[in-house]
Amino acid sequence: MEELAPRIAAYLAHRMPAASNIEVSGISRIHGGASRETFRLRARWEEGGKQVERALILRRDPVASLIETERDLEYNAYRAFHPTGLPVPEPLYLETDLEWLDRPFFVMEQIEGCAAGSAFNDDPYGAHAEKIGRQFWTHLGHIAAADPDAIGFSANMEPVAPGECWSRELEKWEKVIDEDELVPQPVARAAIRWLKRNPPPPAEKISVVHGDYRTGNFLYDGEGNIRAILDWEMCHLGDPLEDVAWASDPLWAFRQPERPGGMIARKEAFRIWEEASGMKIDPVRLRWWEIFNSLKGLAIWISAGKEYQTGANRDPVLAFSSWYCTDVHDRVLAKRLAALSKEARQ
Amino acid sequence: MKPDVGIVMQGFFGTLLGDVAPHLSAEYSMGHVGIMGLMLHMTGELHDRAADVCLAENREMRALFGHAASLVEDEGLKAKLASAAAGEDASLRISVLGENNAALAALLIELQAHVEESNAPWAAGLEARIWDYLVATMERRELPFPSFG
Repeated sequence: MEELAPRIAAYLAHRMPAASNIEVSGISRIHGGASRETFRLRARWEEGGKQVERALILRRDPVASLIETERDLEYNAYRAFHPTGLPVPEPLYLETDLEWLDRPFFVMEQIEGCAAGSAFNDDPYGAHAEKIGRQFWTHLGHIAAADPDAIGFSANMEPVAPGECWSRELEKWEKVIDEDELVPQPVARAAIRWLKRNPPPPAEKISVVHGDYRTGNFLYDGEGNIRAILDWEMCHLGDPLEDVAWASDPLWAFRQPERPGGMIARKEAFRIWEEASGMKIDPVRLRWWEIFNSLKGLAIWISAGKEYQTGANRDPVLAFSSWYCTDVHDRVLAKRLAALSKEARQ
Repeated sequence: MKPDVGIVMQGFFGTLLGDVAPHLSAEYSMGHVGIMGLMLHMTGELHDRAADVCLAENREMRALFGHAASLVEDEGLKAKLASAAAGEDASLRISVLGENNAALAALLIELQAHVEESNAPWAAGLEARIWDYLVATMERRELPFPSFG
């Protein structure tokens, strides 16, 4: 790991011409982010006669990943939201030149002294669940309420009409299943057919969609304050209810279906989101996005399984998500679609 | 094979989490060990029932296809269903059962899509039976997951 230190120091010297004697130390890879290699490190340098020290995060593209995304999407999301007051790390440098670290990467501020709850823990936040839950849903409401053009998020983003959000996302993830399934997937295929037969009403407005807003993808401190919303690599423009449904998907803190993500009660969570976003949750649209999100989850886990099976990426988290998360989402979807099928036939 | 595979896998799970992980200094390596231990725990349980689960699924799908073959009017689909219903699992090796399972699952997708578009008097009943099978089989497949709460 330390072999990266001089290369990162050389890069920082390139980006900070006023700095001298740059030293990089304490590099360690963070576990979990299978869509990027994530390193924490400390950089020290001299500038204007003073010693400066800063804790940084470096996110580098892997050879193969859980989610095929462009790193500039994530970087641009941080850049758009950092000035708004939403808790996100300050983005510093985006680099696509392979000369520095062999693969594209970006550098951002490290938020220190925080933890991320596990999405697979029954009770990820313990005594802070209530306090964190209120912030979690408020922040999501603020993301939905943000004007994507005004904050600079829309630049280089593919525009989408309110009536086409659903079909664009469904096409994207159906293609992933078509390309990556190792065995036929009866439940996923039934879900795709149901989603096509029952399109949702158009989005109330086009919002920023985080794309992976959930338990485990934010940092909180010892007082239960959310300090950083992370993992924006699947962000896009779309229906804000897509994020509401993903955040409340039954996979996160699976044994607590009435407290999405192991935080606060579903009804209260949705009330907070409505208040913060200024929008109403249409139950018909929400149901569509809930089913879609369980399917999107399946697509991600199926893709992860293929990466592992083919040897493209042997990170154990890919094998785990392909086993366990597929198992949960297949079960969730089968029960839900069976009930909808019986309802439709009555 | 003694000690039993399940007991060995549970033992490895405990050793990795209790004796190995605490002595690793790199967070990344600790994360890997935790996930590998968890998957050993799952493997130990799956080892005992994997063939049973797959065999039961294949039998149930064949029975379902035999019933469906007597209902659907599409001659091509009817022939495929009848042929699949008459099939057998020639071996209890997981790889063989799995290959047969995948072929049967592909036909199940075709049948379910066909039934969903049908307004024939038998369609609602057959659609319900397919869903009953899928719900039951997803329950049967459920992986053990230790609580860390």
